[in-house]
Amino acid sequence: MIKARQKPMKDIARMVAPFSRILVLGCNTCTGICLAGGEKEVAILASTLRMQKKELGEFVVKRQCEKEFVEEARDLIQSHDVVLSLACGVGMNFVSEMFPEKPVLPGNDTMFLGLPKELGVFAERCVACGDCIIHLTGGLCPIARCAKHLFNGPCGGSSQGRCEISPDVPCIWQLIYERLARLGQLASLEELIPVRDWKSNDALGPRSFVREDLQVKET
Amino acid sequence: MMNPMVQPPCQNACPIHQDARGYLAAIATGDFNRAAQIVLETNPLPFICATICSHPCEEKCRRGQPDKPLSIRAVKRVAMEQGTPAPVPAPTPSHSEKVAVIGSGPAGLTAGHDLARLGYRVTIFEREAMPGGAMAHFVPIYRLPREMVAKDIEAIQALGVDIRTKKALGRDMTLAQLKRRGFKAVLLSLGLPLSRKLRIPGEEGEGVLLALPFLRAVNLEGYRLPPGKRVIVIGGGNVAIDAARTALRAGAKTVLMVCLESAQEIPASPWEIAEAREEGIEISCSWGPKQIVRHDGKVAVMECMAVKSVFDEKGRFNPSFHEDRCTQMEGDIIILAIGQAADIAELPELGIPLDERGRLGFDPQTMATGKQGVFACGEVILGPGSAVRAMASGRRAALAVDAYLRSEKFTFQEPSALGTLAPEVVEDIKRIERQPVPLLEAAQRVTSFEEVDLGYDPQVGAREARRCLNCGNGAELLEEKCIACLTCVRVCPYGVPVVRAAGKVDIRVDQCQACGICVSECPAGAISFRMPGVLDIPQRIGAAMASGKRELVFFCAYDTISLQGADTSGMIPVPCLGKIDVRHLLRAVELGAERVVLVGCADPDCPYQRTLRWAQCRVDTANRLLQAAGLGEGRVKLLQLAPQEFARLPELLSASAKEAR
Repeated sequence: MIKARQKPMKDIARMVAPFSRILVLGCNTCTGICLAGGEKEVAILASTLRMQKKELGEFVVKRQCEKEFVEEARDLIQSHDVVLSLACGVGMNFVSEMFPEKPVLPGNDTMFLGLPKELGVFAERCVACGDCIIHLTGGLCPIARCAKHLFNGPCGGSSQGRCEISPDVPCIWQLIYERLARLGQLASLEELIPVRDWKSNDALGPRSFVREDLQVKET
Repeated sequence: MMNPMVQPPCQNACPIHQDARGYLAAIATGDFNRAAQIVLETNPLPFICATICSHPCEEKCRRGQPDKPLSIRAVKRVAMEQGTPAPVPAPTPSHSEKVAVIGSGPAGLTAGHDLARLGYRVTIFEREAMPGGAMAHFVPIYRLPREMVAKDIEAIQALGVDIRTKKALGRDMTLAQLKRRGFKAVLLSLGLPLSRKLRIPGEEGEGVLLALPFLRAVNLEGYRLPPGKRVIVIGGGNVAIDAARTALRAGAKTVLMVCLESAQEIPASPWEIAEAREEGIEISCSWGPKQIVRHDGKVAVMECMAVKSVFDEKGRFNPSFHEDRCTQMEGDIIILAIGQAADIAELPELGIPLDERGRLGFDPQTMATGKQGVFACGEVILGPGSAVRAMASGRRAALAVDAYLRSEKFTFQEPSALGTLAPEVVEDIKRIERQPVPLLEAAQRVTSFEEVDLGYDPQVGAREARRCLNCGNGAELLEEKCIACLTCVRVCPYGVPVVRAAGKVDIRVDQCQACGICVSECPAGAISFRMPGVLDIPQRIGAAMASGKRELVFFCAYDTISLQGADTSGMIPVPCLGKIDVRHLLRAVELGAERVVLVGCADPDCPYQRTLRWAQCRVDTANRLLQAAGLGEGRVKLLQLAPQEFARLPELLSASAKEAR
């Protein structure tokens, strides 16, 4: 899922400084799950700001990226000067689009698509490139997890299974090699992954797609 | 799950709570046998009700919100005329106690039927020569052909109920004698066999008739009026209408009905009034009888006073008049249809007490009279009303008698009804005209006692049944599986799923129109469906494919009637193709189908307008997937037929298959 973390308090304080009535708007899906946007985080942030003589509203919607759910917060959004969103960037964008007159401030930095390795430790696993190739790489993504996004094996900076950027970062190509060996698929490494057409990524601007099978034609 | 005590409004409005939605659905899908079976499950007098029921169900039908209520009574008649229910074996008496029912009108017959089904040995004692009460004696033949009464009574006798005619309580037997003969409980369903009189000057003597004896004489003894008479019927209820229309058929030159009530207050059923007017009966409202003027002893004039009000400020019947504003109506015969009374004056001699106003005292909760082991039901305790209301009373009394004989406390809980449709849902419902029930031409009606109601033909009945909104019989959210994706919210053509507080999705069961699109589109399998024939589609595919067929055909079950018996063996009827999803199509192929065909109709009167477009989408998706998987092209097809083409379905299918090859 999308992983996010709250911005530093001093940045938030600077952003909200011009406003007096602030709605802290949480999201109970991705950021709620990664402990950055649920009821508790909303309450903590609101409490901190309240101590700075601000008038605070608190609310959490099921998801900030869907109209039907944001609708529940409509009256609250309209009765505050500003929305301080604890959603991911998607939710923040959406609330901005839905309320053209209302300023929306980011309370979170959206980090990546990843997983919790343990309580409070999150790691990236996918860059949403739009053209998955992990069937060739033992199910592990070299785009998301190689510092250089290399497609065909490690660079010279791989040492003792570690990436040269930090001894804490495993070299994903080492992990790919080990896994392919376990799967008996080492031969697949001999096949070159060709140069990538990045159109499926963001090379052509903001991405969107349509599921034709769900477009019910009006007659 | 919704509380089973919450019923669709039609079922709830029915005093005996018949599953109208169930039999309407069966008829709409052409299954008349099942429809008849459903009717029989709760209705001991199915032919009588199919013919004359006052159908309170229709008043509450929610189809009345967007357009007009379903014609439920007439559709039921189609079920009874066309359907052959599976035979039900007569219950074996499981209780030693015998029960005596006194009177064989709708209440007594229902009680007898129910007690027999509960395992009691029941004897119904009828004081007349013919069983059936008012339905055999008073209801006009042009409304209720007597073979309908005979069929229902025969079915009750087949349950083992012993009906003894010409046996009156008091005249032919006492309570003590019944007790000695082993009857442990007695149920009085005595009806209201007496006509009330007016008590005005000129009433006594020749030319003034009472409605009930008049109706009975015409119905049973072939009595006819002397020719050329102008008849005035006093009264505004259904019995007055019966008397007026019967008088016309019995030879009256003209018939005028005079009633206290205004045109808005008149208690007779609106359709009865309309039919009476079509036959040339004039209705003069808001007049109260003052006196009957006789010339040479013969009725000449009915003098009436203008009515000030019929009901007092407490809503009680308490008419007041402008005594100075009178009118004179000329006539030769006056029929009084101003009310009915019970014939119970002799009950105290049998030890059954009456109350201070001379009525049969009873406990409305337990149905017990003041005499131990004696119960009462029907119009004798309820006052005049419809047959089906009397039946409900008989049903309740049967349960009360059962509880008494088991020495159990009797409790009775009335179920509640679904509320009304929300305005935004009503807006999206396709308007479909109610099919008029064909009637005999008025000119032809008045010359005979032929039945007025000609009934729907089965095609039209099925079409009418198709208008049913399937209240409360559609989608149901499985909360534990819901992932709140909002797909249902987005695909529902009626705006039924809504988002509640905290982002909780609510598919409003009471608002659902049962089109089934959401069930097919829900990505989490989090929607269940109440209507039969939907959740079992995968099993039916499995069963159909087990025989190794090459082509699997799904067709819209609502087109069954249009098939006119065309062979559909091995095909799968589905209540609207909107309920077939891509999984079903692929499953059929997976199980060996070379070709899968969905047959739907291009009926402009289909209540579900978007379902075929969804079907097309799913067909396209299945074909795309199969083609991409290298499994061939165009293996799934949507065949859209006009209703009149369905009779040629097998032929059209083989043509389509040939074309595909």
